[in-house]
Amino acid sequence: MVEDKNQNVELTDHEAELYDRQIRLWGLESQKRLRAAKILIIGLNGYGAEIAKNIILAGVKAVTFLDHRNVAVEDWCSQFLAPKESLGKNRAEASVPRAQNLNSMVDVKADTSNVDDKPDTYFSEFNVVCATQCTIMQIKRINEACRKQNVKFFAGDVWGLLGYTFADLMTHEYVEDVVQTKKIQISDSGEPVQKEKFENIVVTEKHTETFVPFKSILNVTKSSLPKDSEVYYMILILHNYREKYGKDPLPSERGSENLKAEADIIIKKYDLEDKIDHLIESDLYAQISPVCAIVGGIMGQEIIKAVSQKGTPHNNLFTFNPDTLCGKILRLGH
Amino acid sequence: MAANISGVFTESLRNAILQSKVLIVGAGGIGCEILKNLVMTGFVNIEIIDLDTIDVSNLNRQFLFQKKHVGKSKADVARETALTFNPDAKIVHYHDSITTSDYGVSFFKKFTLVMNALDNRAARNHVNRMCLAADVPLIESGTAGYEGQVELIKKGLSQCYECTPKAAQKTFPGCTIRNTPSEPIHCIVWAKHLFNQLFGEEDPDQDVSPDTADPEATDSAGQGALNSESNEKGNVDRISTRGWAQSCNYDSEKLFTKLFHDDIKYLLSMDNLWKKRRPPIPLSWKELPDGVPGCSKEVNEPGLKDQQRWSISKCGTVFAESVKSLSSNLKALQEKSPNNHLVWDKDDQNSMDFVAACANIRAYIFGIPQKTRFDIKSMAGNIIPAIATTNAIVAGLVVLHAFRILENNLKACKSVYLRSKMNHRNQLLVPEKNVNPPNPKCYVCAPTPQAVLAIDTSKTTIKELDEVVLKNRLNMIAPDVMIDGTGNVVISSEEGETEDNNNKFLEELGIKDGTILKVDDFHQNYSLTVTIVYRERPSLKGDSLDFVILAKEQDLKPKEEDLVKPSTSNGQVETSDDNVMIVETETSSDVTKKRKIEASEENSSKKRKLEINDMDDDISIIENDINNDIDKVKSNFKAQNIEEKDDDCLIVHDDNKSIVATSQ
Ligand SMILES: [Zn+2]
Repeated sequence: MVEDKNQNVELTDHEAELYDRQIRLWGLESQKRLRAAKILIIGLNGYGAEIAKNIILAGVKAVTFLDHRNVAVEDWCSQFLAPKESLGKNRAEASVPRAQNLNSMVDVKADTSNVDDKPDTYFSEFNVVCATQCTIMQIKRINEACRKQNVKFFAGDVWGLLGYTFADLMTHEYVEDVVQTKKIQISDSGEPVQKEKFENIVVTEKHTETFVPFKSILNVTKSSLPKDSEVYYMILILHNYREKYGKDPLPSERGSENLKAEADIIIKKYDLEDKIDHLIESDLYAQISPVCAIVGGIMGQEIIKAVSQKGTPHNNLFTFNPDTLCGKILRLGH
Repeated sequence: MAANISGVFTESLRNAILQSKVLIVGAGGIGCEILKNLVMTGFVNIEIIDLDTIDVSNLNRQFLFQKKHVGKSKADVARETALTFNPDAKIVHYHDSITTSDYGVSFFKKFTLVMNALDNRAARNHVNRMCLAADVPLIESGTAGYEGQVELIKKGLSQCYECTPKAAQKTFPGCTIRNTPSEPIHCIVWAKHLFNQLFGEEDPDQDVSPDTADPEATDSAGQGALNSESNEKGNVDRISTRGWAQSCNYDSEKLFTKLFHDDIKYLLSMDNLWKKRRPPIPLSWKELPDGVPGCSKEVNEPGLKDQQRWSISKCGTVFAESVKSLSSNLKALQEKSPNNHLVWDKDDQNSMDFVAACANIRAYIFGIPQKTRFDIKSMAGNIIPAIATTNAIVAGLVVLHAFRILENNLKACKSVYLRSKMNHRNQLLVPEKNVNPPNPKCYVCAPTPQAVLAIDTSKTTIKELDEVVLKNRLNMIAPDVMIDGTGNVVISSEEGETEDNNNKFLEELGIKDGTILKVDDFHQNYSLTVTIVYRERPSLKGDSLDFVILAKEQDLKPKEEDLVKPSTSNGQVETSDDNVMIVETETSSDVTKKRKIEASEENSSKKRKLEINDMDDDISIIENDINNDIDKVKSNFKAQNIEEKDDDCLIVHDDNKSIVATSQ
């Protein structure tokens, strides 16, 4: 990760105007860091499209879409960057024009290779790598490669109405603005009139957070999980399914025995009885647009936080439960 | 599109999505995201309304718009872009304000559900009331920075938008603004008032000159000095700031001297004010300090242009330049029409420069820390920071709520909050445990007596509404009538307040099909929410007034304090709206037409007649009952004479157990 000299260049008037509402939130320094960041998104499904949209709007330097898959019918459920008529065409390439329209100042590229064909050094070209629709094997490998080259790593998936984000930022330094109430004394050039007064002032605190790789959060013991970790079990089930069949269950396979068989393994292993049955029966097929928006929104903001080094990152697993609408952060594998 | 692919959703949700008709109010940050989610999900019938046009500062999150769309209608461009996502969607757009009377109750009743994506309370209040009146589920949402929330509003089931009091916008006492500012915001408010005094719509409540009526100043000792001062200065204070500025042709030096020297000296003479405060220091135009606190004269700090700090001397220059531009803009406008004036806009460079310069000069005078133009813009323009991700998350939750409504699972639509940091239970998206029940004391949604008035709004005058409908038919004594949403009082019980309205037609005052009127007769604890339905006045009957009132009988009378609760004889507390039917225009006119024919056949003589179709314990009316009823009102409030000669009354039941009273 080389410091980009771009970071010290002032924002143009146009950038200041365009990014006004977010600079007022995260500050000019964050915006400059964003402008220097190069991001890789692996897997341009509906979820990937949401992540792409959010970081392109935020104004990063460059985004590369890496995807060897073609646009499928299921993508019509939420992949708004690929036009409907691009069915059967490469998903990364099909997504570029609309993605570019979101912000002409961001360099948007497509790469139609399979991530498996990329050497480890490929990931060092980026500040952040974000992987979706990958197998556990792939995630582990990319995560490891990123670790070695000091690249911030994210992974995540959406299955139907359910989804997660994962972060491995290794050792991450960041600042956080904390509002403190301070006693101030007014005295000025005029008559020094002493008057006690309280004012909210913003103090910038520095912090460091340590992360673990993806492999550490797999198959953790039941005792290390909080009570309501239903989504965690679902993530294991659906990842195991993907590992075994090389794809996710299709809408036409709703209620299939194969998924139930994967579920049974986890249910037995963690002694879950009927606790997650309602989720196994729920909508887990294709990717539902509003859920891509929610989980992709969380992922987008985590990438922005990581790049700008501002704000406490989620360490390390965010899970969205479509039944309770609860979004929870689990700290696993530490 | 998800709903077009078998197996993505359950069949019932899939069908409900395909058959629904939904409204998005607002095509801004949340609205764009909702629209995208809806078309991708496979919603077909979508309507979207927004008054706004696209601005550059929207483009960091309102992702359906691009730079080339700046200046165009948000609703229109949002529709165009969303159609590229799903060409099969049927999207109707309105570049209009939802608060206009074109979008009345009948408009809202078209929809399966309504989703609010608004940025202001007035419009939210309005849609809230409309959805309650139309009994359509409303999903309310909002974001600010990293935080957001989504909630369901459904009549009788959940809190409405107005069930809980919202923090009022902060206001400051006039004397703080005019005499004794102590914080930057006081100076910014003063500067905005000054803008209006000089260039905008003059508002006597926004006076910027020293306030001699400050109770603190007129206390005791300084009184003498004050009196003599105000005599001396009397002529300056008597003419308006605007008049004075015009008389000196907006000469910036003269203006500066009056505002930042003479007025300050005058304030100093109110010596009581400065016993415990640092007194202000008048500034002289010729000797403005050119240092910036903590910096050398040559300031070139890194950062945005707007984040540079200005010296007072620089403020003076900006003041002079902006006054020059603004006064010539005003002059040009007033050549077209003498009543024209400027409107302050944070995005107009001169307007913003003027406020930033004046606020900082005043802050300096009072020893208050100065702010950058960037920060002053935030405060003066009430800018709420907004980012794409928060809007996306909240819009996603909105559409998940919509799914639940379509599945008829409203109880699952618990409010959800997006927090900027997780709570102690590690939750970032935090759902409530239950749907919050309505506040029984809410003045908007608590079950209040409802009535529907079908009337010819283009041919009925306010006076007729007052005399014939409210006083004679509904037995009111001195009603106050307010248009819900706008808050316009069209009939006031205070003498002389609304007489001008008497001969105006309802329509002229904005009372149209779908308008909701809040009618209160405080003399007798008698309140009614009246929904207007347009109904053409039959021409054959000439000038007689023709209208239909639809309501529960028990509602059309004053409340007896202790009998507010409806009967619970069948073991059920009646809270639902089953008994109140708000008629569709068609239905009502059909019913009335039929009744009218019968009436004209049977009642050529103008005599009261009642007809009973149905019996129902709660609401049936028989002739004696209504007479008793009227007698009750009469005996309670003897002042009112309810007899009216040319009143034919017909009361029928329709199949919703409501009562139609026709007068013709
Ligand atoms: Zn309420």
